[in-house]
Amino acid sequence: MIPLSYNVRNLAVRKATTIASASGIALVVFVLAAALMLSEGLARTMQTSGTADTAIVLRKGNDAELSSSIEDPTVGIIRSAPGVKAKSDGTPMAVGETLVVAFMETSDGKGKTNVQIRGVPADVMDFRTNVKLDEGRPAQPGTDEVIAGRAISGRFKGLKLGDSFELRKNRPVKVVGVFSAGGSAFESEVWGDVDVVREAFGRRGVVSSVRVRLDSPSRFEGFQAAIEGDKRLGLVAIPEPEFYERQSEGTTMFITVMGVLIAVFFSIGAMIGATITMYAAVANRRREVGVLRALGFTRTNIVLSFLFESLLIALIGGAMGVVAALAMGLVKFSMMNFSTWSEIVFQFTPTPRILAIALGFGGVMGVLGGFFPALRAASVSAVDAMRD
Amino acid sequence: MSETEHIIKLKGINKTFTRGKERLEVLSDLDLNIPKGAFEALMGPSGSGKTTLLNLIAGLDRPTKGSLEVAGQDISKLSDGQLSKWRSSHIGFIFQHFNLIPVLTAQENVELPLLLTKLPAAERKTRAATALRVVGLEDRMDHRPNQLSGGQEQRVGVARAIVHDPTIIVADEPTGELDRQSADEILGLLEKLNKEFDKTILMVTHDPAAAERATLIRKLDKGQLA
Repeated sequence: MIPLSYNVRNLAVRKATTIASASGIALVVFVLAAALMLSEGLARTMQTSGTADTAIVLRKGNDAELSSSIEDPTVGIIRSAPGVKAKSDGTPMAVGETLVVAFMETSDGKGKTNVQIRGVPADVMDFRTNVKLDEGRPAQPGTDEVIAGRAISGRFKGLKLGDSFELRKNRPVKVVGVFSAGGSAFESEVWGDVDVVREAFGRRGVVSSVRVRLDSPSRFEGFQAAIEGDKRLGLVAIPEPEFYERQSEGTTMFITVMGVLIAVFFSIGAMIGATITMYAAVANRRREVGVLRALGFTRTNIVLSFLFESLLIALIGGAMGVVAALAMGLVKFSMMNFSTWSEIVFQFTPTPRILAIALGFGGVMGVLGGFFPALRAASVSAVDAMRD
Repeated sequence: MSETEHIIKLKGINKTFTRGKERLEVLSDLDLNIPKGAFEALMGPSGSGKTTLLNLIAGLDRPTKGSLEVAGQDISKLSDGQLSKWRSSHIGFIFQHFNLIPVLTAQENVELPLLLTKLPAAERKTRAATALRVVGLEDRMDHRPNQLSGGQEQRVGVARAIVHDPTIIVADEPTGELDRQSADEILGLLEKLNKEFDKTILMVTHDPAAAERATLIRKLDKGQLA
């Protein structure tokens, strides 16, 4: 086998072309890794919103809270269904909430987008124990006070602590607290009193969804049978993690497909760059290849050597791309969640699997880009090369 | 001298090159026997077929016609891969332009033929160092070709040609790029390899002074031995 140091040193000798080719591959690896990290970040944000022992009940035929409506009397039936956990005072652990969207202006004034407003009952903090008030105080039930999620507070006009904004025209509300919710999608919401919110949006007497805490995740089937078995109710029950997974499916798929498509298009350019670099390397080292062939190295040895060199360029580029993508982990990103048509804030989330996929993609580009130049190198005749 | 003692046996060798529609016969019906342990010089005018003959004997090229037995093997029948393996075992090359790999040190260049053997890395390094000692370059082992003089580069080339203990050393104008003193040193090394290590050497040269160092001078003209 031709020593690997031969390839490494040759790359070092022609630094400029090595870096140029590696940069092309770095860009592709960066785009792919960033897209996958974005997709992962959204999925994780949505997944952390759900807990295994919680079920969400929606109107049958609606797969999103925004379009679902459940009448108040039905909420009582859901709360008393079998499997619902009881608080220490014997009341069921369940919350009926109204979800609406408000069209709000971003704080930089560059655009407007939907923000989810959740009408919550007074005891919501007992139900969602991972929600913590970071600043200010809780909103007083029955008043025009709201609390804003950590992820969107400050990103929209009127959502900073102490600011006010119009929930609907002539319905101003004041932000009295900022909360965090373990990085979940709730941090991209504004929470206000359920009665105030549904009155403002003309949804009196109905909620969007009911969430119940079960005695254990294993009680879900019994609960589901009770809720869905009564055809008069027309409801559907879904475990909360599954609900959020479905919510993020469309958007994560969109991001992944877009990212992969862009990466594939870019990769064509990067591969052409790697191919040109390797063809130049072969042309410049024709005599060396001839000598190696004369000494007894086979065509396969030559092909592997040049493929390794191309792979090395790709891995250098891949490493550059992965490092750049990792730096994106520090950036928070907001985009429209297609299932709720609202802004959701999440982070680029790297995982070893994503980094391996991106690096592997770079490696494949290197091997494909170097394939034909390597074949050309192997076809060099020792006699002809040394006659040049 | 009996037939079995010949390490190179060529019979009825013909080599024709085709350039476009033109056929160029470089070697025609050539017979040649070289005994084991010989140091022979091959001379002749440019285009007489010296290098072509050397390439055939070294297994770098194939004859158009004829039988070619070198080191006990009919090499005209070997596949490309088999021929590569055969070269790595039996042939040591010394080139006019040295042909060292620029990014490798002297020791790494000398070690190259040993990478095709199953020797462990430590043994390869020891043998490369020994070969460099034989050519008097033990203090230049870590130098790259561009840090060596022409004469030193060719001595590294000689070390590379002998490191794997080949059956035959082929040298194509080994002194063509060197000054007289460096050329004498290289020729002295070849004599030493022939006399002390019993290596069979076939050298193509234009230089009569170089040819005189060989034990036999053969002259080639228009593709035939004179």
